[in-house]
This record gives sequence, C-alpha cells and structure tokens, in this order.
Amino acid sequence: MLHLAGIALVMGLSPSTYHRANRNTTYRYIYTSTWQILPWFTLLSTLLSLVLIRIVLVTALSYGLSRYALEMMVRVLVLELIPLSAALFVALRAGAAFNSPQLLASQSTAAPDISRLQQDLVPRTIACAFSVLSLATVSGVIVLLLAYINVYGISPWGLPDYTRTVGRVFDPAVTLGFALKTLLFGLAVAVVPTAAVIDAARRNITLSSTLQPGATRLLFVLVLIEVGGLAVKYI
Amino acid sequence: MATAPDSPLVPSPSVPPPPAHVEFKALLLLVLMAALVCSFVLYVMYARGVFESTQRLVLISDDSEGVLVGMDLTFSGFPIGRVQRIDLAPDGKARILIDVPRKDANWLRTTSVFTLERGLVGDTRIRAFTGVLDDPLLPPDSERTVLRGDTAAEIPRLVATARELLSNLQAITAADSSLNTSLANMQTMTGRLTGQYGVLGGALGSDENAKKIIATLDRVNALLAKADQRVFGQPGQRGVMDDAQAAIVQLNGVLSDARNSLKKVDAVLAEAQAVGSNARIASNDLGALRAEVDASLRKVTQLVDEINRKWPFARNTELKLP
Repeated sequence: MLHLAGIALVMGLSPSTYHRANRNTTYRYIYTSTWQILPWFTLLSTLLSLVLIRIVLVTALSYGLSRYALEMMVRVLVLELIPLSAALFVALRAGAAFNSPQLLASQSTAAPDISRLQQDLVPRTIACAFSVLSLATVSGVIVLLLAYINVYGISPWGLPDYTRTVGRVFDPAVTLGFALKTLLFGLAVAVVPTAAVIDAARRNITLSSTLQPGATRLLFVLVLIEVGGLAVKYI
Repeated sequence: MATAPDSPLVPSPSVPPPPAHVEFKALLLLVLMAALVCSFVLYVMYARGVFESTQRLVLISDDSEGVLVGMDLTFSGFPIGRVQRIDLAPDGKARILIDVPRKDANWLRTTSVFTLERGLVGDTRIRAFTGVLDDPLLPPDSERTVLRGDTAAEIPRLVATARELLSNLQAITAADSSLNTSLANMQTMTGRLTGQYGVLGGALGSDENAKKIIATLDRVNALLAKADQRVFGQPGQRGVMDDAQAAIVQLNGVLSDARNSLKKVDAVLAEAQAVGSNARIASNDLGALRAEVDASLRKVTQLVDEINRKWPFARNTELKLP
C-alpha cells in the first residue's frame, strides 16, 4: 500500500504523466468524483452542520459559555468532522468501482503495470484528493458562514469579533495540519482501495461483491490519520 | 451511492460516453477551488493580523500560568492586542510580548494598568484599564508590570476567612454569648415596656422611678399654674404683665416729651450758631477799622513831626564844632 502510494506520488509529481490522454482522464475523474457529488454533499453537510451548530450554540448558551461556542464549532466541524465526512463520502462514492473485474484482470500480474497505473491510478488519486479537498473546503466555508449567522445573526457588526476568533483558531500549525490531513485523506481514499484490489488480484482472492475491497483498511487509515492529527494538535 | 456503470475508473466499451464539456467543468472546478483556497488563506492571514501594523508591548508577571500564545489583550471587553511570545527573563519573571495594532494603541496610555485574571472556569484574561484618556500615548516597546488576580490562589485565603467567620458566628450564637445576654436584656426591657408605666418604666429601669417622675411632673404642673396666676393675674385682678404693659405706655409718653425738649434745644443751638457767625463777621470788620486807625495815627504823627520841624520853637539840632 505504501509502495503504491509512493509510486502514485512520484508519478503524480512527474510532468510526463500529464500528457493529453491522462489530462482528459483526470478531468473525467474530477468531473465524476467532484462535480457530480459536490451539490449533494454540500447540501447534506449544511443540514447536518446546522443541526450541530444549533446544538452546540444552545448548549453553550444554557451553560453561559457562549463565548466558547463559536470556537468550538470551528474546531469540531471545520477542522475535524467535515474533512473526515468528505473523505468517507468520496470513498463510498468511488467504492463500487473497485469491484470491477477489468481492474482485477489488469493487475493480476506479479508487478504492477506502470502504464496502467499511470493511466488509472494517478488521475484517480489526483481526482480523489481534489474531491476531498473541494468538498472539505466548500463545506467548511459554508459551515463558517452558518456559524456566523447563527451566533451573530445577519449583521455585519460581529465580523471583527468573528474574524478574530477564526484567526485564533487557525494558527499556522493548525492550518498546516488541516491542509496536510485533508491531502492525506484524499491520498488514502485513492490509494488504499486500489492497493487492496491489486493485492487481492495477486493472491487470486475472490472479492466479495457486497464489500468494498480495502474498506476496513481504509477506515483504519482514515481513523489513524484523524487520531494522529488530534494527538499532534492537542497532546 | 453510485453504481458500477457510473464509475469512470475503468474505461470500457460498455461505459457510456462522458457528458459534454467535462474538461471545461473540471477546469472551472479547479479554478474555483484554487480561488476559494487562496481567499480562505488570505482571510486567515488577515484574521491573524499579518497585514496589520503593530507595536510591541511587554507585560512582566511573576507567573505566566494560563497565558497562551494567541490569546487576546482586551480593553473594555474589546480585543486590542494578541500575545505573540512568552519569555522567561533572567530575573525569573515572565515576559509576555503582545502585539497591539496601531489603530488600537490609542487606548493605551502611560497611566494604563494591566491585569492578568485567572478564574475557576474559563481561560486566563489579560485586560487593560485606562483611567485618563488624555495622558500621553504608551510608547512602543514599553514594559509594564501586570497585576495578577488569581481566583485559585484566593481560595485558601477565602477558606481561612470563612473558617474564622464561622468560629466568630459560633461564639456569637453560644449560650453564654454577649448576643444571648443582650437578647435576654432585651426581653426584660420589652417586658417593662408592656408594664403599667410603658416606655417610662423601661427607660428608667423600674416602676418606682417612673412613679417619682410622674409625681415630679405633677408638681411642675402645679408650679406652672401658680406662675401663670402671678404673671397674668386672675380674672378681675391685674397681673405682673398688665403692670408692665402700663409702665411701657407711660414710658412712651416720657419719651415723646423728651423728643419735644430736644427739638427746642435744637432751635436754641441754631440761634446760637447764627450769633456766632455774626460775631465772626464783626471781628473781620474790626480788623479793617484798626488798620484805618493805624494809618490815621501814622499820618497825625507825621503831621506833628512836620509842624515841629517848621515851628519856631523847634530845637536847633545842628552841632557846631569849636
């Protein structure tokens, strides 16, 4: 899995990968993995975030801790829940493709087919990472807007205080960690299931049609990244 | 979720052709996301004050516990500065370096006071208080000692004070305490107040004393009645006040007579004044008359001398030498 991730990264950073055919493939993947699901994911995350924001706000107000509510919303929703849910959403959205027999057949040899990887893996990795990043960014921005409206109402007078709170939350370490975590989520969503498929093909293991290959491993990796990020940030 | 035919992962002849303008939509997404990410990064930089011009303020404290990098310095509840660094000075004191935006620095004056407050719940707060806003502005890189208010540190003192207070309260409410004695005395006093002589008995201590006071009051009343009779008289008789009133009437008559006499004396004095003025005028005339008499006498003397010189009986005053 790590070997495959390394190959994907190297090929992704290599300019020779981006010839016209690969670019078109990448555009198609981006279209499929982001354009088609962005509105629905945004709508879903907006509704869920609205519910969570109201719960946090009402609870904080009832305990007289309203000055911490906004910071808590930003920290919990924008920094933690939204990227994780975006990664899970992208993983589930693309999961059915891993059961494709063509992919299994193409990777049944002992060594990974570099040209096949270049055609499929790199565009797919880029598209998945971009998809996770896009979903997380758009939903994060919407959550920030919703949090402002819920706390201050539709008024511009809370903007300085709100800006200051956002600035306090997004210190350089946290911002860098947020970006890195989102990129790792995207990479994991793209690489882990592919590695599982290739591994199964090599070992001649018949994959269950109802279970996404590498789902458990992907979930473990996502949780590991999330917990690692939390540990680095708060411990 | 998506189904296998929707997936673009494995291009195959059975896969339907891609929708129109896939490349344009993908590029649009890329551009929009890049713009969104750049905008967010710029907003966060603005929120963290990267584009603000600031001045440095150094707060010195014995203990910087609870102070974090990035926390606010507030003035009247508004954040006007942000902690940038916390150092340990060579003298063992904590140096809290705060960046204050120049647009907010006008709230800080040379007489401003800074406090570091730590409550039981919530984070530590650094506050600035400016009493006189007309004082000179706080110069950049100023160092000020911060006053600490630590609730956790106050708890042991509070407990000690509460214990002392409770022991005092216990001493006050004891059976032989001053308060109980006072309450017993109060009860005795209220018992007297409800007795025959009421407040008087309570104030004087016993009914006998109250009885004496009442007897004294009766005697004073009798004395006042007698004095009234002597001063104002009984019906049909003249009292002291009536005699005094008649004397005052007579005194008024005497005073009017004296006023008339004084008027006459005034007239006499006026006449004497006129006589005096006449005498002064006469004295002035006498002087002139004397001068004329003197002149006449000098003329007569000269005439006699002249006659003597020309008269045959005049003496020969010529001296002849031998």
